[in-house]
Amino acid sequence: MLDPAGPAAETIARLWWIMLAGGGAIFVLVMALLLLAFRESGAEAGAGARRERVWILGLGLGFPLTVLAALLASALWVGERLLPRPAPEVVGVGAVARQWDWRFTYDDAPGRVTRGVLHIPAGRPVDVRITTEDVIHSFWAPRLAGKIDAIPGHVNVLRLEAWAPGDYAGASSEYNGPGYLGHGFIVRAHDPEAWRAFLADAPT
Amino acid sequence: MTELLRIAAPLSLWLASFSAVYGLEGLVCSDAWTGLELDSGAGRAALVAAMVLAVSLQAGLLVALQGQRFGSGVPALRRISLVLGIAALIASVWTLLPVMLMPLCL
Amino acid sequence: MSAIRLHKALGRVWASEPGWRGWLTTVNHTDLGRMFLFVAALYFVIGGILAMLIRAQLASPRSAFMGPEVYAQVFTMHGTIMMFLFAIPLFEGVAVYLLPKLLGSRDLAFPRLTAYGFWCYAFGGAMLIFALLAGIAPDGGWFMYPPLTGPIYAPGINTDFWLIGITFVEISAICAAVEITVTVLRCRAPGMSLDRMPIFGWYALVTAVMILTGFPPLILGSILLELERAFGMPFFQVAEGGDSLLWQHLFWLFGHPEVYIIFLPAAGIVSTVLPVLARTTLLGYGWIVAAAVSLGVLSFGLWVHHMFTTGIPHMGLAFFSAASTLVAVPTAVQIFAWIGTLWKGRPALRLPMLWLLSFFATFVIGGLTGVMVAVVPFDWQVHDTHFIVAHLHYVLVGGFVFPMLAGLYYWLPHLTGRRRFFRIGEIAFWLVAVSFHVTFLAVHWAGLLGQRRRTFTFGPDDAWSLLNLVASIGSFVLAIGFALVILDVLVNALIAARGTRNPWGAGTLEWAMPTPPAAYNFASLPEVADRDPLWADPDLPVRIARGEGYLAGAERGRREILAVDVASGRPVQVVVLPGNTALPIAMSAATGGIFLGLLLKTYWLVPLAALVVAAMAIRWVWCLGTDADAGPQAVGHGLRLPLASDSADPPGWWGSLFLIGTSLTLFGSLLFGYAFLWTVAPNWPPPSYLHSGWASPALAGIGSLLACLGIRLAQRRLRRGRLPLVPLGAVTAGCGALVAAAVTVMAGTSHDAHAYDAVAWVLAGHAILHAGVPGLMSLVVLAAALRARLSAARSGPVHVLRLWTDHAAAVTVIGLVAIWLPGWLT
Ligand code: HEM
Ligand SMILES: [Cu+2]
Repeated sequence: MLDPAGPAAETIARLWWIMLAGGGAIFVLVMALLLLAFRESGAEAGAGARRERVWILGLGLGFPLTVLAALLASALWVGERLLPRPAPEVVGVGAVARQWDWRFTYDDAPGRVTRGVLHIPAGRPVDVRITTEDVIHSFWAPRLAGKIDAIPGHVNVLRLEAWAPGDYAGASSEYNGPGYLGHGFIVRAHDPEAWRAFLADAPT
Repeated sequence: MTELLRIAAPLSLWLASFSAVYGLEGLVCSDAWTGLELDSGAGRAALVAAMVLAVSLQAGLLVALQGQRFGSGVPALRRISLVLGIAALIASVWTLLPVMLMPLCL
Repeated sequence: MSAIRLHKALGRVWASEPGWRGWLTTVNHTDLGRMFLFVAALYFVIGGILAMLIRAQLASPRSAFMGPEVYAQVFTMHGTIMMFLFAIPLFEGVAVYLLPKLLGSRDLAFPRLTAYGFWCYAFGGAMLIFALLAGIAPDGGWFMYPPLTGPIYAPGINTDFWLIGITFVEISAICAAVEITVTVLRCRAPGMSLDRMPIFGWYALVTAVMILTGFPPLILGSILLELERAFGMPFFQVAEGGDSLLWQHLFWLFGHPEVYIIFLPAAGIVSTVLPVLARTTLLGYGWIVAAAVSLGVLSFGLWVHHMFTTGIPHMGLAFFSAASTLVAVPTAVQIFAWIGTLWKGRPALRLPMLWLLSFFATFVIGGLTGVMVAVVPFDWQVHDTHFIVAHLHYVLVGGFVFPMLAGLYYWLPHLTGRRRFFRIGEIAFWLVAVSFHVTFLAVHWAGLLGQRRRTFTFGPDDAWSLLNLVASIGSFVLAIGFALVILDVLVNALIAARGTRNPWGAGTLEWAMPTPPAAYNFASLPEVADRDPLWADPDLPVRIARGEGYLAGAERGRREILAVDVASGRPVQVVVLPGNTALPIAMSAATGGIFLGLLLKTYWLVPLAALVVAAMAIRWVWCLGTDADAGPQAVGHGLRLPLASDSADPPGWWGSLFLIGTSLTLFGSLLFGYAFLWTVAPNWPPPSYLHSGWASPALAGIGSLLACLGIRLAQRRLRRGRLPLVPLGAVTAGCGALVAAAVTVMAGTSHDAHAYDAVAWVLAGHAILHAGVPGLMSLVVLAAALRARLSAARSGPVHVLRLWTDHAAAVTVIGLVAIWLPGWLT
């Protein structure tokens, strides 16, 4: 996920680097305050009320509330943009998981089923409708987007997009039994021409 | 026991209304809602109304805890229950605000 | 009387039996606290060995050490042992050992219950360890998601060990929680009002109430999953109207509060130890109490953050994302209050303080990564990767193990009566503190690179190959560090020199006694007028030993403590506690029979064992009664108080009150599950509803009326000094009618046709149990009335029965109406 190859993964990776920087700064601040308490000069004087104002109202309440409000607002904003909203250029595909393989179907090529490889057009948003035939699995192609679970009886939709043609690794990421490690798949992004060719190809 | 209830009440009320609003959201996005022949506008209205109700109940409780009749007579415990009353009020606004800002069932 | 003579007199009354029998029959909290601590430490070692197996397996790519099946058992048991058999029982041990001493009491409110809980823990844990050694341990991960753990995909007995063993162990958590709650509220030193209570008392109270309300959803979930596995009742199978998401809700409804149940006691230790080592008082006592309460309640509104990837609409996720960020605020309040306390005082860098510093450095990072995973999009990426593994270890080790070690070193002189002489602990500290970060910083990064948790190996080309080697090396050093801690504690406990009383100069009452403590804690119970009684009055220990407090010695030749008014701490009753008995261990063995019967599917054993348990329970409560009014008892300082058994609200009444609270949360979870299936599960509504007719509802109505009116009438009669035989009979009859009404539900549905039918059976079974118990109790009270063990004063049993009767009527009627309602409407 630190090496994004699509807009969703990129947004989340950027979020991570920002949070890492912010979190690091907060950690350093807290540790500095902690260690300063041990300096030689001894107890610092000051009335109890003032102390409570500084440590509890200021640092304990005001500081985290401000930081968290900002973080939460941006997190929800980012989350909104990653949702699978309907749009004309969106490609629809289906993914069905079971112990331990993946099968994919294509709205633009009805009847077409691929196993272990999900074909998508590069540079276009794709909605993957995910479900399962047996236990819970999870669809995750880390370089393209976050993950969403495949739950019996439910269909979950994940929006992903690859900037460039190529193969991207994917894996189930909810423990699903002894075959869990090998329960992977590949997302193969095609340029427009190859995508047309793929759709036109006879069912295998 | 009443002293402890004064301390436990504010956030317990938050928990109840928070869970209720989450449950209502689940209902609004379920087939049952469309089965009742209600649309998403009604869903949004119901959620916003629930939030307004929750916040006003919370504010009402805070006022009650401050008053002579329901408030604690022990200063230390009184302060704790008021702090928690304010915390619960902030919590209801903070956690329920999404009903106004987010798309309904996406 | 001199201090020595008091000591001898008290010793005779309070001592446990000598020799090995003492361990089996003791009900003393100091003994049982030590037993809890010891067994929990043992499980930490076992869980730690499993962790080392994991890290050994992950040290190199394509390791042939373990296959996926074994690896699954190892990580599942590691997580399960650490959470259920180490962390929670360790808290119970600390609370059982410390609370009465901190609060100025001689024991907990229900000594036999402490023992019963301990043995349930020991036996239930043994079941799981047996499964581990036999190679049939649970293997679905510590949160056991069905369908993977359901009858189709996990037909073996492995999962049953988890569901049944853990539920058995949970009995001990519930017992301890009732115990702690009632003790904190009722068994404090005279004059210790709520705002003078040691801060640990508040934390223990919040934690105990959280256990009482947090564990029921998991107990319910385990029961439902076991019913599905054993009898095909389809709660989690989508084709028959179940939904596997229901398990996730129930599990995390428990699972998230669980994390705070683990953290809060540790925070209580920080709040207790840190000010003493900084030679000052805690900054912002009231704020910290408010923060602990906020954490306790807020943590019940976070559970869905473990389900961010299950496809819940974004608005739903936003609620929980917001709540999850908000919970960081009370945590920050505590952190800064502690740092402010250090600034206020003159902190000394003793060993417990070192562990506290390590706690800060680790827990703050765990808290920060916690806020990160509360951010929904980020969680979509790192969920179920090793980033989460690292986060949870920063929180659990940093926020629980490190403070507990600070507490261990702080109270070690109290446990052993010795001062630390060998200095292995400092070396151990540095090994652990440094290698922990080496290990788990690497694990964070491996997760970010894409390593999924619970994968049993990886290839040499995977980007996280080298990081795993680093983590493994770090973890081996970590293990050596922990081993040295254990060595240090052992040598200093066994062969170091005797220490002085109160070595840290603390202000709380546990240091007002000679160490190691005598079975009775205090030769007389002190009057408290300050939050730090020993600082207010340095001579207090001497005056206590000389018998200048309340209840000096054991003049009446029995174990006595005081019960106080909840808020003010004014003494109101004398509680006579039971002495040594084998009843608790026998009853938990019989309880084990129930669970064993379920596990091995030898179902005839279940009712048999249940009958034995019921008989023993009757014996248990029978001992509490007396044959005549005792009248007011002298407790010293000219004060005379009634016995608890001569009162309307003996400790048993308070215990029942909180147990009923627990039962109601379980019932609430069940109703939630029903509503959840109704709105979310795909295959609803069911093909057909149960149509009740009018007879069963009438039966339920009459039964509840009879029971509720009968018990009220009984109370009134007794108050007027008359024996309430007929009204008690009405309670029995009413409960019988409720049971009969519930039975008709089972007769009208088939348990495995659809989740609706399965829920109907569970609601009916729940009603039968909850109406049957007060039915049985009413017979016992009736017998007590006939034997003249009730009077206007000795009315406690009737008041207790009223609680259970009202509860039975409420849950039965609500439960049955919930089943019948759809039939009435269609
Ligand atoms: C002493 C050093 C410890 C080490 C080196 C360690 C190591 C690990 C590792 C590597 C895993 C991940 C296994 C996997 O997903 O493949 C894990 C999982 C886990 N650990 Fe630890 N652990 C330690 C202590 C603890 C403690 C003290 C606790 C709790 C109080 C704990 C609770 C857990 C839990 C709940 C899991 C999740 C299990 C699951 O996925 O079902 N661990 N541990
Ligand atoms: Cu959580």
